[in-house]
This record gives sequence, structure tokens and C-alpha cells, in this order.
Amino acid sequence: MVLNLLAVAAALLVLLVGIGRVPLGYNLRNLTIRWKTTVMTALAFTAVIALLTVMMAFVNGMTRLTEETGQPGNVMVLSDGATDEILSNLTIGDLSEIENQPGVLRAGGRPMASRETYLVATQSVDGHLARRYLQVRGVEDPQLTAFVHGLDLLPGGRWFSDAGVQDGAAKDRFAADSTSAQPSLIQAVIGEGVARELARGRTAEQLVGAKNRQRLDVGDTFTLRDRTWLIVGILNSGGMTFNSEIWAKRSLVASLFGKDTYTTLVLRTEDAEAAQKLKDFLKDYKKAAVSPHLETDYYKNLSETSAQFSWAIGFLAIVMSIGGVFGVMNTMFAAVSQRIGDIGVLRILGFARWQILVSFLLESLVIALVGGLLGCALGSLSNGWTATSIVGGHGGGKSVVLQLIVDAPVIATGILLTLTMGLIGGLLPSLAAMRLKPLDAMK
Amino acid sequence: MKYFRLIVRNVARNPLRSLLTSLVTIVLVFVVTMVWSVLWLLDLVTAERSENFTAMVAERWSVPSRMPYAYAGPVSRGAARGPDDVVPKDSMTWQFYVGTLDPEKLTRENLVFAIACEPEKIETMMDGLNDLPADQQNQLHEDIAKLKANRRGIILGHNHLRAINKQVGERFKLTGMSISKGLDLEFEIVGAFPAGRYDTMAAFNRDYYVDSMDAYPRTHNGQKHPWSERNLSLMLLRVKDSQDFTRVAGQLERSPELTSPAVRCETMSSGISAMLEPYRDLIWGVRWLLAPACLATILLVIANAISISVRERRRELAVLKVLGFWPYQVLILVLGESLLLGIGAGFISAGLTYAGINWGLGGVSFPVGFLDRFFVPPGALWWGPAVGGVAALLGSLLPAWTARNIKAAEVFAKVA
Repeated sequence: MVLNLLAVAAALLVLLVGIGRVPLGYNLRNLTIRWKTTVMTALAFTAVIALLTVMMAFVNGMTRLTEETGQPGNVMVLSDGATDEILSNLTIGDLSEIENQPGVLRAGGRPMASRETYLVATQSVDGHLARRYLQVRGVEDPQLTAFVHGLDLLPGGRWFSDAGVQDGAAKDRFAADSTSAQPSLIQAVIGEGVARELARGRTAEQLVGAKNRQRLDVGDTFTLRDRTWLIVGILNSGGMTFNSEIWAKRSLVASLFGKDTYTTLVLRTEDAEAAQKLKDFLKDYKKAAVSPHLETDYYKNLSETSAQFSWAIGFLAIVMSIGGVFGVMNTMFAAVSQRIGDIGVLRILGFARWQILVSFLLESLVIALVGGLLGCALGSLSNGWTATSIVGGHGGGKSVVLQLIVDAPVIATGILLTLTMGLIGGLLPSLAAMRLKPLDAMK
Repeated sequence: MKYFRLIVRNVARNPLRSLLTSLVTIVLVFVVTMVWSVLWLLDLVTAERSENFTAMVAERWSVPSRMPYAYAGPVSRGAARGPDDVVPKDSMTWQFYVGTLDPEKLTRENLVFAIACEPEKIETMMDGLNDLPADQQNQLHEDIAKLKANRRGIILGHNHLRAINKQVGERFKLTGMSISKGLDLEFEIVGAFPAGRYDTMAAFNRDYYVDSMDAYPRTHNGQKHPWSERNLSLMLLRVKDSQDFTRVAGQLERSPELTSPAVRCETMSSGISAMLEPYRDLIWGVRWLLAPACLATILLVIANAISISVRERRRELAVLKVLGFWPYQVLILVLGESLLLGIGAGFISAGLTYAGINWGLGGVSFPVGFLDRFFVPPGALWWGPAVGGVAALLGSLLPAWTARNIKAAEVFAKVA
């Protein structure tokens, strides 16, 4: 829609220039002669648009995250009444019955069902007092879980072993599973986002020997719950909430964090239609009190936060645009007052009133466009930046590491906004210029 | 004084330009005031106190915290075992309860998040509720007395009151959700928290919660509630100062009674900082991108307006010099005009924002973590003029310097 509006605006501009016979060269020369005023006004637009581009990129990243997480054929089963995975409480008896229901895909005789224990763990950082929250997902069979969620590993990694642990001494013999009786390292597969987060605060010494300076990598370790965790794989989960998770063997997670029950059962069906059927069936399931959700819907429901941010950004955009409008209005009124004589000459040369109007409007639009384009370019530098945030809604929420995304609609919105500011800001001064009588102007 | 009158007259000479420049400043100072109000509150709630510490005790390793209720005793004593150990001055238990007004329609508005607690501790232990204005303090005191007397009473935050569209004295029923599934409770609203920090909070009598947990097996084939063993969410402790806090934290974390699960003791501000940690980058962006971008825009617009003004008045400034004005006086004249606009517009903006947000709207709703509503602090009444003034000063330095250096002979030579 934004792109369409921008196309309409561009077409209008071309039309005005094309049919208007406006003295465009004269306007552009004026802009360059008064270059200081032009540059300062344009820079004000640059600041406003650059900022809005960054903010829109943030919301864009947040929206994509919730929209792109979840498989259309997956049904997520939580305990009845649970609005979020973290508050769910499923018993093993419930799971066995449910995962063998018709509609759940099977491979090699096994149902394509992922039993998971999801929790938020606290990790001490920078000593005792500071801490951060980390999302931990305990899974039974990481390959099955990855298949169900449509994920794989980045090159160089592997899934954790059946035991989920390995001897500390085996860290250097990374390729081989350890069978040591006293395992000391917990094997984990982690998302890229949390790998970046965990890498924050590494000392210069640690960075010297680091395989990857931006994030932790396969073979690196971190401490959680007073245990050392060894990263054996990095999830290829960019753009999904799994990017912010740590996966480890469920039995270990359960015992370390005192969460014995399962929180989530994710069932893979043939397609979205089959998933809907299974969800409807489980909704009326009598043998266990469960709450089924289409996985895509569950994650879409977490977009309430991005709607909130969109609202806030919309409000800021309006307020800051008002500032931009007054700024360009100031410049254009000054331009008109300085060029009253010029306007009189143009009128005597045969330019109609409306052509004077269009001429000054175009001048205002050019300033706005130049400033806005520069703002979009500056704002575009934020593309790919990562930021931590919370996504949530309907009583649930997740702490995520998201990527700022500057795409065509974001740029188009920026340009459309700058043109709107230029148009509104230039309109009153242009009307004032249009209303000047040639003889009065020449006096 | 004459000089000031000259500045005022100059500003009034081009009312349109002065008005537009002021309007830009007013609008952008409004944004800066709002942003700084949010940051001010965040800094306030995360600032460490030097005395009368509130410590927060919760499960150490995972969220949400679930401790056995049996922890309440030892934690309230700070796990003190010897005569030299420090005992907290006061304590409060929190048991989280989540319910919905309409189980068929799960919306944010329908959800009520409440704490079950000892009523009398609301006043003494919850930050910001023991230093209220007298009328609010008296009202809260009365509400708490009603809560103590009425086992089914509840005190609601303003957001909840609005959402459920009920008044104090009315009754409603909550269907337990998530951790409170199966615990359906009926309440009578006995009061409301003062507007502000506790708008999304609801508190009810702990006895009612414990009784309903105990009654759960009777309606569920003798099965205990899944959270019955561990339903103590967190505890607040009041300690004298940071030294006592450190000692109590050590006692609690070393206590053999509190190992399964282990507990964490931290200051309230530290706990809040951790809750705000996921918003770290957002707060950084607001602090270091949004506010500076607004300031830069004000600066550019004022610089532009003053530059135009100086350019248009070259002849007049040259005349002033001929009349005996020193260059520094011309400089001050131009700077004065700019400062008058900036400070004046800044003050108007901050004043209007303060009055509009605090008195007109009753705060602005923008949930960040557990904080829901923001008010503009009185300090904004000087931030606004300061922001406008500094931006005006910086923006007009160059044009004022240009005005100072105008050479009368050159100007009149061009005119001739």
C-alpha cells in the first residue's frame, strides 16, 4: 500500500513538472544559491527521517519475527488455561495419548511430535548482582525437534548427544562423544541471537582467542546455573524466536531448574488444514485438559508488542513531522519574501498563478526529498543491527534478539512522509507567492 | 532593560517567522520532555537507595519464581540462625494469581494479574505507597483496613478498574488461568491503588488464596493443585542499609533450609534492572538516538531562522554599528533574540506537556516491563527551557558571529 501511495506521489510530481511548464531551473538555481538555508532545512528532514527509518526497521524486525516463527502444519499443545509456554504444565501421560492421535505425521513408526520443557533461566553476569534472562528449551531428541520446527544447524555444528553431556577433557576432542562417568560439560545448541548476547562483555583476552568476535561459536562455553555449557551447534534460526533460545537435553534441564513436567508438545501434521483439524479435535479432547494452538497463531499473538511500538512510532512520526513542516514553512516563507521581485517578473513573463504555486511547491518538495533520501540512506545503515526486546501479547511474552530490517516499504514510508511534510510545509508559502499581484511585486 | 526591549521588539517584528520557529521548538521539546520523563522514571526505579533497602527474594535459577510456601518463615527472618545474624525489619509474601473475567475471550483487558499478600504489608512494604500525599495515604489506609476485614476483598489498580468497568464496592468473578488454573475466585472491590506505578496491580488477602488452594483437591478428585507445593512467588524484605542487605543476602543464599530450590536475594532496584534488561537496546535508542535527533532538529531549525533573519537585516545591523553599537553588542542582540525564542518556547512546551499529561490525561500509558503509566516530573519545567535555550544558543552562534562581523562600509557600498 505504501509503495502504491509512493508511486502515485511520484506520478503526480512528474505530471506537475511535465504539464506545468514551471521554471524548474530557476527554482533549483535558487536552492543552490541559498545553499546554507537549503542544506540546514534538508538536514532537519534528514534527522527526522533517519530516526523514523530506524524505528520502523525495529518494528519491522519485531513483526517479521512473530510472523515467520511457526510452521503452518504444526499444532502446539499447552496445558489447559496456559497463555504462555512458560506457564504450561503437561504430564507425560497426556503427551503419549495425544501424540498418537490421527493426523499427527509419523516417520519410522514414530510420531513427529516434539516434547519440550521451556523455561526462562537467570544467569549472573558481571559478578553477583547483575543478571540476565535466558530462554532454555529442554528437548528429548534435538533432531526430531528441529525437524518439527523446520530448523537446522549452521555448518560446523552438530546436535547434542543422547546423554547431553560430555567430559570436560573431551572438549578438545570435540568431534567425539564422551562416555566419561563424570560429565562436566552440558552440551547445548543455541540460536545466533543468544550467541551474540552471551558474547557481550567478553574481555580483550577472550576476544584474542575467539573463533568468532561477534558471537559465541561451536566449541565455546558459557556458565549457567553454576554449570559449564559447551556449544556444540548454532541454530540456523535467523528471523525466528528460536534464534534467542538455548536447547539442551530435557532431562538435564528438568533436574537443573527443577521443572519436571513438560510445557509444550508440538505436533507436525500434513499441512495447515490438517493442523486446523487436529486443533479442533484437541479442543474438545476429554482425556486431558489441554489448550491447542496453531503454532503460527501462537507466535502471531505475540505481535501485540509490535502493535504497541507501531502506535508509539506513528505518534512520534506525526509529532516530529509537525516540527519538520514548520521548519520548511519557515524556509519557504523566507524564500518567498526574498524573491517577491522575481515573482513579479515571472508573472509578467506570462507564468500563470498556479505555475508560481507549483514552482514554489516543487522547491519545497525538492528540499524535503533531498533531506528525506539522505535520512533514508542514513537510517538504512541500521539494517541488520540486532536489538534485544520483548515480544508478547494475550498474557504471554518472550525476550528476543531481533534484527532491524530496512526494506522497500520502510524506505517508501520514509519518502512518502518526507514528501508529505514538504508538501504541507510548502503549501502556505506557495499560496502566498501565488497571490502576489505582478505590479505590487515589482514595486 | 532597554536592550531587552530591543530584543523583544526584534523578535516581534517578523511574527510569522518567530511563531514558526517557536512552534518547531515547542513540538520537539515536547518529544524530548516525554522521552526524558520515561528515562527519568526508569533511572529512578533502578537507582540504588542508601538506606531503608527493599530486598527481593525469589527462586534463584528460573523464572517465574516458584518457592515452597514453607520458605516464608525462614526468609522473613533473613535465615538468621545466630545472635550475630541480621534480621530484616519487615517482610511481605507475594503469591501470583492470574485470572480472566471471560475464559471464552482471552484479551489483555480481560486478564487480571494479582498478588495474594498480607494486607497490612501493602502500606509498609511496597515502594511508593508509604510516602503518598496525606489524602491518598488516608484513603489507602482505609482500603487496607477493609481488605483485612473482608477475606474476599481486592484492591485494584486503575487500569483494571477501567478494563472491567466496575466501581469500588462492586463484585466480580475471576476464572483462574495458567498458574492459577482451577482457582476461580469471587472478589469485592474494596479500594483502588493510587494512580501511577500500581495501575496494573491488584492485591488481595493471602488467606483467601491459601484457602482456595487447600479446597482444590475437594473438586479435583483429591488431586493437589499443580502449583500447591511451590506457590510462593517472591518475598520482599526491608533492611536498614546496604551493609545489612549484604549480610542478609549472604545468610539467605547460604541457608541449608533454602536449597531446593535455591534462592536469590537482590535489591529491588537490581531486580527491576534485570526485568528491564530485555529493553536495554530500546532504552539506549530512546536515550541516544531519539532525544539527540530531536535536539539536532531544533538546533537546525533555529539556526536556519536566525541565519535568514541576519541575512535580511544586514543593513539594519550595519546601521546599528554606525550608531555606535560594539560588535559584542550586536552578537548579544542576535543571541538574545534566539535565546528568547528558545527559552520561551521551551518553557511553554514543558508547561503544556506537564499540565496536559499529568492533569489532563492522568499520565500516559506505555507499558515497559512492569511499568505502565508515565507522568511528567516537575523537573521538566526547567528541562524544557534549558533544552530550548541550549539548542537556540548553539544554533545561533554562527549567525550571531556573522552579524558581529558585518562591516558597515561594505554593506553601504553594496547599497550604493
